[in-house]
Amino acid sequence: MIKATALREKLVLPAIGELLLSSFRPLLGILLAFIVSAGMIALAGANPIQAYRALIEGAIGSPQSIANTMVRASPLLLGGLGAAVGVKAGLWNVGIEGQMYAGAVGATAVALIPLPVPSWLHVTLSMLAAAVFGAAWGLIPAYLRAYRGVNEVVTTLMLNYVGIYFASWLVHEPQPLAEPDAFYPMSRIILPSARLPILLKGSSLHPGPIIGIALCVVAYLILRYTPFGFRTRLIGSNPEVARYTGMNVNRQILFVLILAAAMGGVAGSGEILGLKLRLYDFFVGGVGYEALAVALLVMGNPLLVIPGALFFGGLKSGAASMQITTGIEAPMALVIQALCVLFVIGVGFAERRWIDRRKQKVTEEAKANGY
Amino acid sequence: MSMDDQLMLRMEGITKRFPGVLANDNIHFDVRRGEVHGLLGENGAGKTTLMNILYGLHRPESGEIYLNGKKVEILSPANAVELGIGMVHQHFMLVEPLTALENVVLGISPERPPFLDLEPARKRFTQLCEEYDLQLDPSTEVWRLPVGKQQWLEILKQLFRNAQLLVLDEPTSVLAPAEAEQLFKTVRRFAEEGRSVIFISHKLGEVLEVTDRITVLRDGHVIGTVPTSQATRPELARMMVGRTVILERKPREKIRAADPVLLIEKLCCKNDRGLPALKDLNLALFPGEIVGVAGVDGNGQRELAECIAGLRKPTSGLVRIKGVLVDHVIADPSLLGYIPEDRRKTGLSIDLNVEENLVIKDYERPPFTQKGMLRWGMIREHSTNLIRDFDIRTPSPSVPVRHLSGGNQQRVVVARELCAKPALVVASQPTRGLDLAAVEGVHDVLLRERNRGAGVLFISTELQEVLSLSDRIVVLFRGEIMGDVAAENTDINLIGEMMLGHRIEELAA
Repeated sequence: MIKATALREKLVLPAIGELLLSSFRPLLGILLAFIVSAGMIALAGANPIQAYRALIEGAIGSPQSIANTMVRASPLLLGGLGAAVGVKAGLWNVGIEGQMYAGAVGATAVALIPLPVPSWLHVTLSMLAAAVFGAAWGLIPAYLRAYRGVNEVVTTLMLNYVGIYFASWLVHEPQPLAEPDAFYPMSRIILPSARLPILLKGSSLHPGPIIGIALCVVAYLILRYTPFGFRTRLIGSNPEVARYTGMNVNRQILFVLILAAAMGGVAGSGEILGLKLRLYDFFVGGVGYEALAVALLVMGNPLLVIPGALFFGGLKSGAASMQITTGIEAPMALVIQALCVLFVIGVGFAERRWIDRRKQKVTEEAKANGY
Repeated sequence: MSMDDQLMLRMEGITKRFPGVLANDNIHFDVRRGEVHGLLGENGAGKTTLMNILYGLHRPESGEIYLNGKKVEILSPANAVELGIGMVHQHFMLVEPLTALENVVLGISPERPPFLDLEPARKRFTQLCEEYDLQLDPSTEVWRLPVGKQQWLEILKQLFRNAQLLVLDEPTSVLAPAEAEQLFKTVRRFAEEGRSVIFISHKLGEVLEVTDRITVLRDGHVIGTVPTSQATRPELARMMVGRTVILERKPREKIRAADPVLLIEKLCCKNDRGLPALKDLNLALFPGEIVGVAGVDGNGQRELAECIAGLRKPTSGLVRIKGVLVDHVIADPSLLGYIPEDRRKTGLSIDLNVEENLVIKDYERPPFTQKGMLRWGMIREHSTNLIRDFDIRTPSPSVPVRHLSGGNQQRVVVARELCAKPALVVASQPTRGLDLAAVEGVHDVLLRERNRGAGVLFISTELQEVLSLSDRIVVLFRGEIMGDVAAENTDINLIGEMMLGHRIEELAA
């Protein structure tokens, strides 16, 4: 009996250890990324400590910089969520970039129509249009993946280019969205009634990031507390088992990919309605891929998308002040982002091996004790 | 030394341990020059491990290997190829988009690198084909070749590399009978040239047909080596299946029922390769009986279980459970409890935790889902009860299933499938990979289900446990039932003969 109790404790340990590690995993990865980046900053001839201080200052040093971080995080929250929902279901939605353009097109189109409705409704309709456009964009890879077995990585990735140039075509004259005689291809400016309000005077903080945070929480609750969420996690963990339980796996894949794409669409609309007020040619500029990086950083956990996106947003807004103070070019932030993702994944592998070894040891001891 | 002159290969005292399993225990094995040597044994007997050691895929803990009387160390497959050992795996190692010729030269350095001149190779290819009477076109892509020809290609690859010792791992498992005949001819031809062949199989008939000597492995031991001319089927069958530990048959009462709980009529279906797996199979199973399905692995057992569970569409025929036509996945836990063959792939989601796995079929039903929301409190209560009732050893319901031992993982599946008292229980290889205590536990549970009045279909390739647990035994061979006999006091050899494809009518005559 004593043996059994001792064994129970030993079996509990790795479970707790795993829990601790899973929250430390991103932090440890980020720490390692910062150490390596410090070396690179030093190589570039700047003082890493000074650079990081400027980075932090620029990210959270003042209400303005916090607002700036939030604004930068807005598309990462929504887009990151779109990718994370896919990750949970074992699906790789690499198409956030294109879905953002699709959503932006939908939002811009509705935001340019003078509607006899109150402003809040006009904004809501514009965002809904973005969600619908994003979903429609996602319908193609979703259908192909669910019913034709076509790899969604390829289709979502390729559709990005279609989305980028479709939006580009729409903002070139003589297409109806385009601003006439513009110095740069862009849409006409959206109607004032369709604009998201500014929350903090002297900043560009709009409600986009707050909508993003709310949706992350809702997504978490759906995954955890609804049969739909359970089905999503089940196909993500083992599709063969999902089929065995009698679930319609294909339909679930279809829904999840469409939902993920709708999030990508909303991510695009936030940028238009809250920040840029026009659909500029190539305005997303790779943020869709950064959103995917956020989802990877947090292993698809929708709740962790919130700190993940804010962290990346902070890196981007801090990088500007780092450049001013130390001369380290702002793209350094992208390097740090990439290193964070790589190290977090690396730490994940190391952890898995650690757990396996630990488990094997416990099992062997259990066998030795005749348990 | 004269002994060694005849011997192509001698393996001495080979021992290989895997975590928790002694796969090879002090194995002595030799192959003469010009001999076809059959290596016979059930799944998990240690055949594949021994051959992987010979091919440099595993290192043994102890033991020595001699080739042509010389001690050799085989560190990698490349090493083995250099020494003239060729292996044809059960699952072919061919690159489908490449042509037959390209596959053959793959891995051989060209004569004048970096240029690749295929012409000399093409000549040699055609020459070998003529010599061995293999009709193969060097420029056909592999994916266009039928399976039988793909196997020729694998063998040709070995001829091309001038292999002296050829290992064939379950070579006929993918072949039609006529293709198998052609294979046997090639194998004999190969041996006549003074080369040697190790022929791995668990099919007695073909081993008797093609080999010179036979070595039987069981549970990692060599049971014996016999000249094929002196071997008989019953003797080999006994050597193969005789268990060191015999499970005792537990006493039970007869239960009589009028209506079958499972009725299968003229069921036909195909396997994953699209070949016929079941042919006009009829079976009726009554409440309160355990019907054991015996047979060598791969004779339609998996397909039968999947057809009953609705996971595989029959090409024709009907399956009814308690009158309900199976034309969809049966997820009603009071109708069917299905313990699938591969618990880690189909039975469990090992990344989810214990309580989640216990409700993966029921989560949408009340009380686990109410008003569209999952009730984790109810799920916790339910799982705590099952953990207690089925003695699942886990530190808590929220531990991922991957952290449990094999026996406890199986208990999770069993608990989930049986907790709603299903009318029919289908258990497909439920004891595979479990230790004896866990095996007995599974047997007790199935017997309890039977005594409660459920019909139990018990599929196992371990004849001994089929005999000790079943009320009635049907024997599957190539998708057909060879015979249907009462289990008590049945002659094990009769079952063994049916497993080899003899109908009970023939045997009685």
